[in-house]
Amino acid sequence: MEIRRTVMPTLTSNRAKSVPFACYRNILATGTMILCASAPLKSIASEFQESIQPILRSHCFSCHGEGDEVHGDVDFTELSSNEQINAAYDTWERVVELIIDGSMPPEDQPKLLDIEKERIQDWFQREFIDAVEAHPGFFRPRRLSAHEYRNTLHSVLGFPLEVTVMKAEQTVSEDSLVMKLLPTDPPGPSGFTNDTSANPLSTTILDQYSYLVDIALDELFSQRYRSSLAAYAGPIASEWLTPEQAELVLVRFAARAFRRHVSPDEVRRSLVALAKKREAELHQALKSELKVILMSPTFIYRGLRMPPGPVNTPLHVDDHELAERLSYFLWADMPDDELLELANAGRLHEPVIFDGQIDRMLESPKARNLAEDFGVQWFSLNEIEHVSNNPPVADALRSQPIDFLYYVFTSDVPLMELIDSETTFINMHTAKYYPGDRKQLVPHKKTRGIEVQSLPNQRIRLRDNPNRGGLLTLPGILAMNRGPVLRGTWILERILGEHLPDPPANVGQVAENKRGENLTFRQRFERHRDNATCAVCHDKIDPLGFALQAYDKEGAYFGQSLKKRKATERELVTMEKPDSSGRLPSGEEFDDFGELKKILITSQRDRVIRNIVRQTMAFALCRRLESHDRSAVDLVATKLTQSNGSFRDLVHEIANSLPFQQTVRRGDETRPVTTRTQRDPS
Amino acid sequence: MSWHIDRRTFLRGAAGPLLPLPFLNLMNGSAQAAAQTRPPLRFMTLFKPNGVHPPSWNINGGSEFDFRMSPLMQPFAKHKEDLLMLDNMGDFGFSSHANSTRRFLAGHHQNTKSASVDQLIADKIGGDTAIRSLELTTEGLFPNQIGCSYISYDKNGDPIPRESDPQLVFDRLFRHPMRDPNKRAEMTSLLDRVADDAKSLHRKAGVDDRQTLDQYLSVVRETEKRLQNIRATERSGFDVGTLERPLAPANLNEQVESMIDLIALALWTDSTRCVTYMLGNSNSRMVFDFLGIHEQHHYLSHFFRNFSRQNLDALLKISLWHMEKFDYLLTRMKSLTDHNGSLLDHTVVLYGSGMGHSDNHTATRIPIVLAGGKDVLKTGRYVRYAQNQQVGRLHLTLLKHFGVDVNSFAGSSDTLGGLDGSDYEPYRERSFESWVRKRGDKIEVQGRLRLSDDLDEAKVFFVDVDERTSVRVEVSFRDFHDFNLAYHCGTPVTLVGTGTEKGGQLLMTKLTELHSLFGKKPGTQKG
Repeated sequence: MEIRRTVMPTLTSNRAKSVPFACYRNILATGTMILCASAPLKSIASEFQESIQPILRSHCFSCHGEGDEVHGDVDFTELSSNEQINAAYDTWERVVELIIDGSMPPEDQPKLLDIEKERIQDWFQREFIDAVEAHPGFFRPRRLSAHEYRNTLHSVLGFPLEVTVMKAEQTVSEDSLVMKLLPTDPPGPSGFTNDTSANPLSTTILDQYSYLVDIALDELFSQRYRSSLAAYAGPIASEWLTPEQAELVLVRFAARAFRRHVSPDEVRRSLVALAKKREAELHQALKSELKVILMSPTFIYRGLRMPPGPVNTPLHVDDHELAERLSYFLWADMPDDELLELANAGRLHEPVIFDGQIDRMLESPKARNLAEDFGVQWFSLNEIEHVSNNPPVADALRSQPIDFLYYVFTSDVPLMELIDSETTFINMHTAKYYPGDRKQLVPHKKTRGIEVQSLPNQRIRLRDNPNRGGLLTLPGILAMNRGPVLRGTWILERILGEHLPDPPANVGQVAENKRGENLTFRQRFERHRDNATCAVCHDKIDPLGFALQAYDKEGAYFGQSLKKRKATERELVTMEKPDSSGRLPSGEEFDDFGELKKILITSQRDRVIRNIVRQTMAFALCRRLESHDRSAVDLVATKLTQSNGSFRDLVHEIANSLPFQQTVRRGDETRPVTTRTQRDPS
Repeated sequence: MSWHIDRRTFLRGAAGPLLPLPFLNLMNGSAQAAAQTRPPLRFMTLFKPNGVHPPSWNINGGSEFDFRMSPLMQPFAKHKEDLLMLDNMGDFGFSSHANSTRRFLAGHHQNTKSASVDQLIADKIGGDTAIRSLELTTEGLFPNQIGCSYISYDKNGDPIPRESDPQLVFDRLFRHPMRDPNKRAEMTSLLDRVADDAKSLHRKAGVDDRQTLDQYLSVVRETEKRLQNIRATERSGFDVGTLERPLAPANLNEQVESMIDLIALALWTDSTRCVTYMLGNSNSRMVFDFLGIHEQHHYLSHFFRNFSRQNLDALLKISLWHMEKFDYLLTRMKSLTDHNGSLLDHTVVLYGSGMGHSDNHTATRIPIVLAGGKDVLKTGRYVRYAQNQQVGRLHLTLLKHFGVDVNSFAGSSDTLGGLDGSDYEPYRERSFESWVRKRGDKIEVQGRLRLSDDLDEAKVFFVDVDERTSVRVEVSFRDFHDFNLAYHCGTPVTLVGTGTEKGGQLLMTKLTELHSLFGKKPGTQKG
């Protein structure tokens, strides 16, 4: 958990004095200094111990810390120092939420007095909201994720590195040499793999980089990729580059790989290494020097060469950093020539140009990355691969939400189309889920001797399948989440943005009907979790999950599949009477999923949009959101809610937001930096 | 420039690794340092996907030392003296594609909890080589029936990941800094440079940048240390640094030949002693467009249910290509001198498949050919067992030859006789008479029916008659189909029909009757 709390007296600085580097456009109008070393302040811990801890001790400790088992991953006994209390921002936020809506303490425990609730709420508001000033995140160089490394290397070289493997229908293989050789990135603290802050460089990764770069450079100097080399060298007349061309390659290659201007000083040593060499010897030396570039930290990490500025002061990032932020956000790739040229000219930050570039980038095919990388991670779409063993079928189920997300992300339609839309994408493998509407498909003719084939999706308009609109009822998503609990949890976490703790390890199976009993699955399930502790989460999960009971485990809608199904008798009972009705903890009632969907896009709309903003911002910033980002999130979410904006609008808002545009360099040079100490205990 | 390319084409196959000039004389040199007097025995397996087309594959008639290689065997017939053809191997019943791969190297399709034979051998002999074993293939995974994609299994019976890219295999064998002193030196100087770069950034950096750079530098330092600590254990006097990386293959043929070149080099330089290589998944759906074929191999391999003249021709073309690759392997291994013989002499090669008939998936008479290994195998023979032999018996015998201490494998506890010239019970065919009569244009002939050796004319059949020129049978598609000629291949028949004499050979062009001597009757389907 990483919470940076920088609640300091504001020092108004002299603007003129704090602009020592021309490369910084301006310092924030407020001229705020953010100080990490603090002036004496009353310790947060002492107030906590006086007035908050006693409440927790009497009402919460027995389950959250002192019992045999720590419930819900929350242990209050571990929170006592300033550091620990500060770092637990997320926990406090959740504590307040749960005690206000009354779900904590559970029904079987003594209730909190209103005055106790107020005291906690007030303490949270003062310490974690009012006292926290909005400011950009601390600057931190970030290693490229495997995905970004692959794309960046491709852009520098002009061609992809691929594995030799024969393609045959129904077989799968990893084509990219980079993805095959680099270890799979775990999601970082933000939940996305482009947050590599917890995934440091290792000797294994360095070995693989070295190996990949060797191959990349051999290819670049091969006959096959002459044109890529010529893109750096100019027309190549003979087998060998001239010494002038070699120098040109070196300088241009360095600028591209480093994603910014390179001064002659920085490549002097490399140029010396090329001097007086000819032909094969020259090529060899040039390859070695290019390898130095591709193995240097500047290539591997983002942001290392951003010009230094005054510390502890929010600054606009320079144009090159801005170009990188934008292109890695929208493309997971380095800036292209147009962006780099604008950055070189120092014009990218100009509002008209900046907004124009965002539109251009969203229109580029590279923006598909938003769906294929960001969307896939956000909605855990890779799980769909396990739904079918037949690659073309699994591919159809997985590509459907990706195509739909790409449509929502780039077509300038209201964000709420994510939940409900008349547009969808199907192919012959998914057509069976769309009776009636499947007539819109342009038929595909199979080649003789080919059994099953992966097919592209076609866009259709839903006319006969009102129960299929939006992301939530795509067959692949329903099939990857089998059962009401998984489906409810998925909606709660991915759509509504709630974080649930892991379920306790000792939950058993839902009991079968005893002799003489004739309870529905839902009734038996409710009895199974009829326990105050379980109810804390399940009151939220279950109504959402059971609303999807009319869809079977393959994701088929009952109305259509009942006739064809050879169901066992017991299955028929639950299938004939799917009970999709429910009531949300906030009070809204619904009869089926269609009605729930309406609730999501009306009374729950703020919450859905806020989650979309948070997810997209965490991905864009490649880091976990902190308490100091709260106001930026609020600002963007409010604007989008009011304007009924599209994803395109969201991208514009985020790209122009404070955390995206600015950064703060931490200044304390003597103290070892740990992510948790932002304020000295007094 | 041009002579350079020409020389390469001369030295390597289409895209294979380039052997440096001095080693072209390998034919009279050896990779092994003279100190080692006994050559190591290696084990190499080549897997053929999608079973076989029995009429063109099976050897019928003949004896252990006097037999006729079948039409499909023609591409490697020249290696007859180095081959041991095993017949009547397999299990009763039928096989799926997915479990046939277990039969091939794990002895029986139900032997799913044990290592495959190559892995047990690798455990025994691979210990002091750079790479314990190589598991190679040509295509991607087939997740629908994952068993189709693997022939090598680890000690828990779990599949072992395979590699398909010859360039990656080459790099792993010969270009790793840990194996190549030149690479090591290169890497060390590179690390110096990038460390300098990091240090110069360090001087200008803020706190978080510095933390990142420290992390980077510590990884660089660790790598440097590792490189210094390597004591190169060069096994042979052969400098692998002189080998040139294979080119990127342009098609399947180049990819496979390149891989076979690498396998030969890996075994010859004693980089590894155990290799398995799949020419395709066991139900391979590859399209052989470079042979001008546009249907999937698996579809074509069901030659009976998808019967057409073109489909059969296409299937036989693909099958011949597989046989040519076996020939390529044997030729390569023979060209490399190893101690007092060739690499093939000191390698046991196992070639074949896990199922027999590619259309009805019978598990009997699966194709199994052994080659080389002259100290443990007695080659130049055709061994057809009287009874069906489980493949596990073959594996058990091989394990013993490699010194693996086991008493049973895959449910078989008896070794298989006949491999090293020991006794075995041979298959005995009922005897029959052969004759031919011609009256006017009417021809009657009795003898063994077989396909033409030239599969380009697979619609041509011959009936062999003792001490006479074989009768050539070249009939219309109608007759071929109605009398189901292909089905009777290998068995004695009586044919009645009309024809002529041409250059001393009788030619039947129209059939009126077909009798099978031993009463074999085809199924109800035609084909």
